Amino acid sequence: MPDEIKLDDTDRFNLMLALTGLLVDGEEYTVEELVDHFKVSKKEIVKAVKMISFTDLMKSNQDGSYEVNYDDLDDGFVSIKYTFNEAIDEVPRLSSRQASALAAGLVYLSSLPGLVENQEIQELQRILAIEDGPEKKKRVLIETGDRDNDLVAIREAMSSGVCITCDYLNLKGETTIGRLLEPLRVDSQGEVIYLRAWCPANKNVRSFRLDRMRNAKPTSDPITQEALDAELVDEIYTSAETDTVVTLEVDPEAYSLIFDFKPVEEPEAVSKSVKRFKIKVGDVRNLGRVIARFGGAARVIAPEIARQSVRDFALNALGERSSNTPKDAE
Amino acid sequence: MASKENDDFDLGKPERLFNLTCTLLYATEGLTKNQILQTVRGYDNEYKEGGNNSTLERKFERDKSSLREIGIRIESEIPKHEDENNQVTTYRIKRESFSWPTSVKLTPRQLALLNLAAEAWAGGSLSTDASRGITKLRALGVVGQSSDIIGIAPKIHTFEPSFKDIDFAISESQVISFDYRNPKTGDIQTRTLQPWLMRQIAGAWLVLGFDEAKQEARNFMLRRIVSKVGLVTEGREVRTFEMPDQSIIDAAVKDLDDHAKSQIAVLKVTQGSEAWFRYELDLVPNKKDNKLQLNYHDLYVLAEQLREYADQIEVVEPKELATLVELGFRKVADLHA
Repeated sequence: MPDEIKLDDTDRFNLMLALTGLLVDGEEYTVEELVDHFKVSKKEIVKAVKMISFTDLMKSNQDGSYEVNYDDLDDGFVSIKYTFNEAIDEVPRLSSRQASALAAGLVYLSSLPGLVENQEIQELQRILAIEDGPEKKKRVLIETGDRDNDLVAIREAMSSGVCITCDYLNLKGETTIGRLLEPLRVDSQGEVIYLRAWCPANKNVRSFRLDRMRNAKPTSDPITQEALDAELVDEIYTSAETDTVVTLEVDPEAYSLIFDFKPVEEPEAVSKSVKRFKIKVGDVRNLGRVIARFGGAARVIAPEIARQSVRDFALNALGERSSNTPKDAE
Repeated sequence: MASKENDDFDLGKPERLFNLTCTLLYATEGLTKNQILQTVRGYDNEYKEGGNNSTLERKFERDKSSLREIGIRIESEIPKHEDENNQVTTYRIKRESFSWPTSVKLTPRQLALLNLAAEAWAGGSLSTDASRGITKLRALGVVGQSSDIIGIAPKIHTFEPSFKDIDFAISESQVISFDYRNPKTGDIQTRTLQPWLMRQIAGAWLVLGFDEAKQEARNFMLRRIVSKVGLVTEGREVRTFEMPDQSIIDAAVKDLDDHAKSQIAVLKVTQGSEAWFRYELDLVPNKKDNKLQLNYHDLYVLAEQLREYADQIEVVEPKELATLVELGFRKVADLHA
């Protein structure tokens, strides 16, 4: 379940509109059904229903009210009746910003290889465009991805609840052939797609980058209960006790690092555009390529061992030996 | 603050907006501002008969923009014989602009896809708009279901702080200005732009628009914006512009893509290395040589990608790219000395 979303005043008003559209003079729902349907807490649903019932238009000469049975509400049932001549009894339209945010989300989905048929996306965009008004134009474009055979195989395996085998090139540059994995979820993060899978050999959940995977094939082995019971946290990187805390400083050109690593605390502004933050790293030797790619827009401030690993990576790339390397080193 | 003698409880903003919406939907003939402030709950208890209600009027103005943000349009009308007299301007909400068209239905599969589209923004720049939109669509009563998209957790990356402001400026056709770092020289210049659309290329967000100083369509990479994005004002008003025809925008998009098609980098990749795998050379049938040709939009972004595979890739051409990769490494080494 996602974390409970915190609602602000505008969200609450939005929820009131939606609840009215769904409930007025219609069926009875249980509070639980509404919680499940609108993905907000029970408290918010009950509060919104009560607020709707407080509506009072007497002074504007409209005689009537939204009636909520409070005894039923206490028992967990919701229905709203109205006695206005012209009340809100319809589903509200989307604002152009809401329609366009959803449309952009759809474009992103269509960029994921083989997830949705383009035709479906176009049909939905047509519907959202009605909402957006005839004059509105596309505000966000996202490149569409190529079909990925491994992803197709993984999704096939997931929908029939079976394991896969695949070849995988790990971060150390070693390839394992015919690795058995129990697929749990596909996470796409920007451009990179990960398979979150239970690894029976290591007995834990691991993340596998699809661009490092080849020859994925569904097997006939069902996904085990052990795998299904495994906790799947949202973060791709989970830190360990032995991790080193590293301080980084980034220019806007390297802000993506703040999102790739989850900073230990809120980044601090060093100047108008430079940010400083701390991350936890399992092995500082892996930092070299991550930092060096930005060509100076990202800097390691501390500890020295992490700075050194970045320096060594850069010097090595330049074909020079680090000054720290002993002259007789083999 | 609600006055003490009035009513049973302090009316919050959501209730006030709801009462306002109901009232204006009902008032097909429209209501004047004074009538609204006198009668709508949330204003009425603070209204001073014959007194100064400027605080309340400002509250009404703010509420109008809150409603507009959420997609409810308040129409105002000045009776023909009373031009310029804003005391008699009437306000109302047209039912047809308020309601979702009953002829448009969503299937469970479609709602499931829209749910997923909203989730893709979770925590991202447009998450508020996306989640409010999906809340409204759920009022259609359809339950989003589709077995084949279960187990997919998409997430759009927008780490550029300027994304939200630019998106808003595009939706409102507002002229923006920002400080932009030239990747070649490192110089920072203030640019003034009529923003048209944003696009993502190779993981990087760009804004395309009309550069007022250069008098032509230009692309700017959001990650090179080093200031807050500001709105350009004219007197006390935010300056707006007229969005060009879609054909002009499409042409500018195509222009950049054509430019990319003409830019080719030639690389040599170590066989069997990570880079070999990353660029899918292992999937090329009968690959005999170690050459790789790539098209690119932006030389600096490509240089970044190549630096990850430092010892596995050699840049053959363009020379400028090879120099960039090397200069970057030199800078990193110096900064970490």
